[in-house]
Amino acid sequence: MGVLGAGFAGAMHAHSAMGLDDVQVVAIAALPLDQGAALAQECGARLATAEQICAADDIDLVVVATPTHLHAEYATAAAKAGKHVFCEKPIARTREQAEEMVRACDAAGVTLAVGHVVRYFPEYQRAKQLLDDGTLGRPAIATLVRGNFSVGSAREWYLDSAKSGGVVLDLMLHDLDTVRWWFGEPSRVYARRFTGRAGLEYALATIRYDDRPIVHIEGSWAEHAGFRTGFELRGDRGMLVHDSRATSPLTVQSPAGPAGPAMMATPTLAESPYRRQLRDLFARIGRGERPLVDGHEGLRSLALGLAVIESADSGNVIEWKAPA
Amino acid sequence: MSRRLRVGLLSFAHVHAPALASTLRELEQVEFTGIHDEDVARGQAAAKEHGSRWHDTADGLLAASEAVVVASTNVDHRRYTEAAAARGVHVLSEKPLATTVADGRAMIEACRRAGVQLGVAFPVRSSPAVIALKDAIASGALGRIRAVRATNPGQYPGRWFGDKRLAGGGAVMDHTVHAADAIRWLVGDEFARVQAELGSFIYGLDVEDCGLLTCDLAGGAFASIDCSWSRPQTFPTWGGVTLHVVGEKGTVDVDVFRQALTHYDDSADRARLVGWGDDLTTRMIGAFVDAILAGRPVPIDGEDGLRALEVAIAAYRAAETHLPVAIADLRV
Repeated sequence: MGVLGAGFAGAMHAHSAMGLDDVQVVAIAALPLDQGAALAQECGARLATAEQICAADDIDLVVVATPTHLHAEYATAAAKAGKHVFCEKPIARTREQAEEMVRACDAAGVTLAVGHVVRYFPEYQRAKQLLDDGTLGRPAIATLVRGNFSVGSAREWYLDSAKSGGVVLDLMLHDLDTVRWWFGEPSRVYARRFTGRAGLEYALATIRYDDRPIVHIEGSWAEHAGFRTGFELRGDRGMLVHDSRATSPLTVQSPAGPAGPAMMATPTLAESPYRRQLRDLFARIGRGERPLVDGHEGLRSLALGLAVIESADSGNVIEWKAPA
Repeated sequence: MSRRLRVGLLSFAHVHAPALASTLRELEQVEFTGIHDEDVARGQAAAKEHGSRWHDTADGLLAASEAVVVASTNVDHRRYTEAAAARGVHVLSEKPLATTVADGRAMIEACRRAGVQLGVAFPVRSSPAVIALKDAIASGALGRIRAVRATNPGQYPGRWFGDKRLAGGGAVMDHTVHAADAIRWLVGDEFARVQAELGSFIYGLDVEDCGLLTCDLAGGAFASIDCSWSRPQTFPTWGGVTLHVVGEKGTVDVDVFRQALTHYDDSADRARLVGWGDDLTTRMIGAFVDAILAGRPVPIDGEDGLRALEVAIAAYRAAETHLPVAIADLRV
């Protein structure tokens, strides 16, 4: 495995891959190159350029964890070099870019997988199971929330909507994909968003299905206390509630207060959803199967995110038709 | 002791009526003049239970009262308010103010002409947490408010609340107005546009039990309101009111009824919440009565009630057309 990008996502995927049997992280690329040095050392991998990674004989799969607007360029190059591609979400910044990636990977006969990792989070999988087995009855109304402090304060490219797509494509997209996974394709989208100073950004979207359910989604880079997720899912036979702030089995305090150094790791699952995602991807490639979230699926979730942006920016209700 | 205001309870149809009666009996600045109800058996039983006088006619109660709390079905608010105004009696109307904009306007006009005050029961404004937030916003501590995500979900109240002829609608009519009033009061701005998705998905009613509104305020902030009767029968409490307020300098979460004990009740086979926060009904009626006694404008008036009602009415129109509805278009 070669990893393009040594930021949050690149490091997460490289670290996650390290514990997997039969998977080795052999090369890390970053711009500038030396920004990947620490990660490469941690993984026992070499530093290499993206071109070198695409050309390397000892690499079967390229992880694209660059800024979003560069996904298409690198994914297409990797596919043309015959590498399988695992691309961080969103699949790309624009629909055209995503379509180009899908075409390039199909033409090269390589796998294109998109990192919609929420599909590997057990709380979301449990909800899907209780929906599918009828326990909740028919879904009536659902609210999904996801917030973080402004990531733009850490990485400047997030602040440029032309590069990242802002809070909608970077954060809310997780829940837009989840909603498609849980309920299928919606019929209408209505949304609002604002951008403030210092990377503050906040969006609300209402997604209506033909008949039911009604879904409300909040994406926030104004959650100054840090990352949180939640959902409330009401069917006609009951309701599920999830709040990440109420489910941590491990809470650590130190005399230094919240600003003090971390005293211990706080794993909450035996295997992280990110590692489960990679394990599943490699297993599927090994069996010659399609990935759980392939390029077409990633494209459809991106398109829903773009519809949210279009509604928020135009003020209009958007009638939704999923790309084929 | 200073003067007490003579206050009656007009109709016992509303689910809040028992709490209103208890509050009227207990408030020291109130002389509870009794109950009239269009349902004689229900009203007499209520009068007996609350140790208050029963009045055979609305006129009888109005003659004995300086103010009334109207706790009727939504559709009856207008006729009771007009009767009170004609008798020179001040009115505190249950929410929503009315079921149509025309009825709401007529109530305001009737009270204005009669020189009596019209108040609307929005207890959320009496919450110390909400008041603290209002003060923080007014001081500029949170910066400009850009967005609010409000929820007022509840259990289905049953009775006439699912009957459009008496309630004027379903969950939207019942629950939108609390959140709408809180938002416009906190932000200090008016609603300009409403889009809504509604559905009758849970109880098989002719009215909606699920509703999600997305609203623009005139000054550019936006807000959503979840007014659904989405709380299951096994939910540990009736529902709740939450506000997630995003300002340029800070984000605030309010959970108005969060102050509660969790009671694991073996006799009921479920857990329930036992609230211990300030009683908002007491504070709300107290503020209304104090204003009347002092000859001041009541803190929440008919115009406030009408502004909140307009949001609900716009939601119904928007849900029919799948298009956002401008509040100004309701006023032509």
